Amino acid sequence: MNQPITIHSWPRAIAHIDADAFFASVEQALHPEYRNRPVITGAERGIVAAASYEAKARGVKRGVPLSEVTRICPDCILLPSDYETYSLFSKRMFSIMRRYTPEVEEYSIDEAFLDLTGTRRLHRTDYKEIGRMIQDDIKKELDITVSVGISLSKGTAKLCSKFRKPAGLTAVPGKHLHLLLARTELSKVWGIGPNTTALLQKHGLKTALDFVRRPSEFAKRLLGKVGEELWLELRGEYANRIDTIGKLKQASISKFKTFTPPIADRDVVRARALRNLEGACIKARRYDQVAGKLVLYLRGQDFSTDGLEIRLDRPSASPADLTATLLELFDHIYRSGKLYRATGVVLAELVDSMPLQFGIFEEPEKILKHRNIFEAVDAIGERFGKHTIFLSDGLKIPMQHEGPRGRVPKRRAEILHGETSRQHIKLPMLH
Amino acid sequence: MTLAPKPIDERVVEKLRRFYRANRRLPTYSELAQLFGYSSKNAAYRLAQKLIDEGFIEKDEMGRLKPIGERLGIPLIGYVQAGFPTPAEEELIDTLSLDEYLVEKPTASFMLKVSGDSMKDAGIHEGDLVIVERGCEARHGDIVLACVDREWTLKYYERNGREILLVPANPDYPVIRPKGELTLGGVVKAVIRKY
Repeated sequence: MNQPITIHSWPRAIAHIDADAFFASVEQALHPEYRNRPVITGAERGIVAAASYEAKARGVKRGVPLSEVTRICPDCILLPSDYETYSLFSKRMFSIMRRYTPEVEEYSIDEAFLDLTGTRRLHRTDYKEIGRMIQDDIKKELDITVSVGISLSKGTAKLCSKFRKPAGLTAVPGKHLHLLLARTELSKVWGIGPNTTALLQKHGLKTALDFVRRPSEFAKRLLGKVGEELWLELRGEYANRIDTIGKLKQASISKFKTFTPPIADRDVVRARALRNLEGACIKARRYDQVAGKLVLYLRGQDFSTDGLEIRLDRPSASPADLTATLLELFDHIYRSGKLYRATGVVLAELVDSMPLQFGIFEEPEKILKHRNIFEAVDAIGERFGKHTIFLSDGLKIPMQHEGPRGRVPKRRAEILHGETSRQHIKLPMLH
Repeated sequence: MTLAPKPIDERVVEKLRRFYRANRRLPTYSELAQLFGYSSKNAAYRLAQKLIDEGFIEKDEMGRLKPIGERLGIPLIGYVQAGFPTPAEEELIDTLSLDEYLVEKPTASFMLKVSGDSMKDAGIHEGDLVIVERGCEARHGDIVLACVDREWTLKYYERNGREILLVPANPDYPVIRPKGELTLGGVVKAVIRKY
């Protein structure tokens, strides 16, 4: 059982870099008074989006309601999410990584995969040391910590980065891979959920090593092609390539917006839903895509969610086409008198917008006219900020700054002379 | 109203431009497909055709793609059609934007809105914006952002032998002699005041 999986140390070197408690760490980097203190973000949503390590140590977890937080950790600092600043940090983190290798996959706002293969000579040191250099640069320039895992594939690199956190650095070469896998429970593996874990346990498997010791046919028979890929990944055989092209195309686009306090007013909830539709359409048009399916969700104050989806006659990303459909969905699921806390719109089954086909009863001229209108809306948006021109229903949405204080991030509440509410200088603000 | 084709997306052009800069040639069809995430070369062919129709690129006698003129924004030095750049154009190449001038290290620079008047004699006033760079060593005489009593404060950084002094640019404020470890938020690189 102690036999190595491979005798090669580094046939490939893939790093997974994961920022520690990212949102909370960014707030601590900008505000000295939050350092070494329990901080959580997500106050505007009423639940914890990210908790600093100080807060985690006190038992605060992601997704916990704020009332719970103040009960278990009364001195916790509750902050609204400042996504603009988090995105700026995220971009900088990725550009620091690109100093070391051009092959960086921005996997999410706070994590990335890097292909470091062959960069040892360039940086004149081993892979683990390169990981440490990236970690140091990020710490020095952004004052946040990241955990780095380096191994032979994305899957194993991710296991490594989770191995020691925060500010961890774990490198596992091929000849030691079996030691890592032997210590990894199946449920901890990226891509194995509770159901798969249960299934594999029925076959007597406990650890990731048990899984890769079985022949690949076993993985394929039980879990299909995905299982076979997973099997290869865990053996360090690099099944999953680094995707540097990035998200050129989206599979689906969703816009969710929570509003506080919860609202029952039909017009306002409807206007919120429409605003989400507009936002999703803007994003779809940016990727030059149109949606074949439209989904609307309404979430009540009690967190019960109603949703309805509809397939569209003609794929579109123009609110002019989709508004009527959305309102139809809305009328089906809106219950008068009920308090709502969020609306969500999903554009699904996205396809490239190039081949425009008209139905036999449609008016091509009108459709083209609408398309031109929204091209103009996008151009204006680019110049003056998103949603500069919006559907008139949007007027019913209460102003952003309304609601209890402390629900708007500082960066949005304090606009510098010369900035507009939608366009800010592209540098993070220290406070 | 006519069924005018959609104009070429600027991002498409930007991608090609980057490829050209890196490789000094335009992509092949299979590279095009990879670049834009198409699964078939046919889609790449259609895109290329569109770019040809719009006059961005052309095919050479071997059927390879090559740029025409400066439509791709690629300066073709020595290309006959481009002619000689005028001296004025030449000069424009080596300019800094105000942004580049003020922010030397974009990944390590932050803004701070100044409060208080402790640095007024250094020309830094309440409401000004300062650009602060992190991760660089503070030298004697620099204006730094220091963390004192859990707050950011701007002061001159001065060394007196082993001792570090945080000196205000206003006689009404005391010189701070930090005890223990001093946390620096960075070094001030620029002051901005917009009227």
